[in-house]
Amino acid sequence: MTPYSEPVFHAIDRGLLCCASFLVPERQRAEWRLEWESELWHARRSKGTSGAVSWRTEREVADFCFGAFHDAACLRRLWWQNRPRFGPLHSSASQCLFWLGGLLLVSYLFSILLPGVRAEHDSSSAEVRAGTILIQDGGANSDSVPTMAVDQIRIWERSRQRYADGFAFYRVARESVELGPHAGVTWQIAQTSSNLFAVAGWSLHYMVRNDDARSDMPRLVLSERMWRQKFGANPDIVGTVLLIGSRPARIAGIAPGDAWRLPGNSDAWLLKPDSEISPNGREYVVAHLTRSGRSEMWGGLVNIASYDSRGLEHDFLGKSFEEQTPGPGNIYWFGVFLAFLALPAIASVSLAEYSFSSHKPSWIRRAVRLGFLGMKIVLIMLITYFSSVDLAYWHSPVFSHSGAYVQLFTSFAVFLFGMQWALLDQRQRCPVCLRRVTNPAQVGLASRTFLAWNGTELRNLCTCAVKRRCFSAGFSPARELVRSTR
Amino acid sequence: MASEAKLSHTAAMILQAIDAGLIYGFSIMEMTGLPSGTVYPAMRRLERDKLISSRWERQSIAETEQRPVRKYYKLTAAGAEALGASRNRYPLLERMIPYVEVKSL
Repeated sequence: MTPYSEPVFHAIDRGLLCCASFLVPERQRAEWRLEWESELWHARRSKGTSGAVSWRTEREVADFCFGAFHDAACLRRLWWQNRPRFGPLHSSASQCLFWLGGLLLVSYLFSILLPGVRAEHDSSSAEVRAGTILIQDGGANSDSVPTMAVDQIRIWERSRQRYADGFAFYRVARESVELGPHAGVTWQIAQTSSNLFAVAGWSLHYMVRNDDARSDMPRLVLSERMWRQKFGANPDIVGTVLLIGSRPARIAGIAPGDAWRLPGNSDAWLLKPDSEISPNGREYVVAHLTRSGRSEMWGGLVNIASYDSRGLEHDFLGKSFEEQTPGPGNIYWFGVFLAFLALPAIASVSLAEYSFSSHKPSWIRRAVRLGFLGMKIVLIMLITYFSSVDLAYWHSPVFSHSGAYVQLFTSFAVFLFGMQWALLDQRQRCPVCLRRVTNPAQVGLASRTFLAWNGTELRNLCTCAVKRRCFSAGFSPARELVRSTR
Repeated sequence: MASEAKLSHTAAMILQAIDAGLIYGFSIMEMTGLPSGTVYPAMRRLERDKLISSRWERQSIAETEQRPVRKYYKLTAAGAEALGASRNRYPLLERMIPYVEVKSL
């Protein structure tokens, strides 16, 4: 080897020490490196002087440096064993509730401050009117395409039916929209009858002034999503004119967040008089059921039969908007329900209250203990709700399917592990003062039950059947137990 | 005694080496023949159990001798007591690691 290789080996050795130092806790790292670099100097000096570099020497020095990893790992283990514990912070019952309340406050504040979550709350409060349905052809598999012929519905509407008291129609097409002098975009525009929002029972946000509304210009209703994305949720946009294709249309208001339930994924709705609705085309049909119509509904569905002028029967299917997609509240309760089902798989639901023990605390103590557990569960449920909504909707201004899945998963996971913690924490507390015990004995429930049951059996055996044999040589309680259970 | 019960042969060798005047990590390694991955972690544990204590030498001494500063270890009272008990348990300990002449620090 050449003398020039010495700095290379030196750099490798120092690199090894540097890598190992990342295992050392940060507070001790600088001192640790200083010590090891000093020791490395001595190791190099003892193995050979400069100019006499050999593979054997370098291998020994490298072995020395590899030992630094063991030392660093040892320091890390010692630090981990002596790390400050969170336990004492919530050792008393009131401290535990205080910390849970703090968590609840933080998650609640997030739900107020995050615009997506706020929008979700607003849209949940503007729910679709009860009895609003989407009517489809009886043979239609999905609602992704319009399937209803308008004239069929008109015939049914004019017949002496008593199921529905309002109908609205729309179809969706992609059209170019001029948002500014050089800002053209393509939107999904729903050409809809002017009563669509009235039938669904939605009132528009930031409605246009009456004198503007009376103009002959077609009216455009923006979806909340587009209003937030393209106009920065500016309410002054209402009343301005946009070019839809080549026709001007005045923005008449902002649709409520719940309007995402309408199929077609519309970015805006262009309201047209009924006379302009083509009777021959296929459209989406929204209807409002009367009381008798709602009584015919089963599982969010209602079957409708209509006869045309030639006496031919047409079957329609009405799907309730209310039961199409659950809101955040329903998703949360479903997640909590699933977590309840899964809880016995990961936690013992027993609270170590045994009928075997005669040392039971007074009923007041037991009531306080149960009350403490109940308060923990209530706080965990509230934390679960707010944290799941925060995580699911913080980035999306309106309800989305991915958000619904995130909320379901979060509700399930937070509640499941929160309950696991609550039950474990309950068992690790003194039943009298409710403080956490410093060194709880971890006894497996199954083996404890087993021992309690077996102990009872052996005592019975001892007092009645095998009393004399207990003291005879070679007595095996386990063998006796097996023999007796046979 | 608790410390006596805990001391392994390696720990006893290291205590003996420190007592014999080998007061920094590499010299202990050389004398005991133990690898660095054994000696240094054992010294951390002995220091945690307060059987040895450490201190850095003065910068001026290291500069005079033109070398990096060393971290020196010495036995505590509990360490000396534990070593005494270990010598009874491992009678060859003193013969394995003889005393050396110690320079003043």
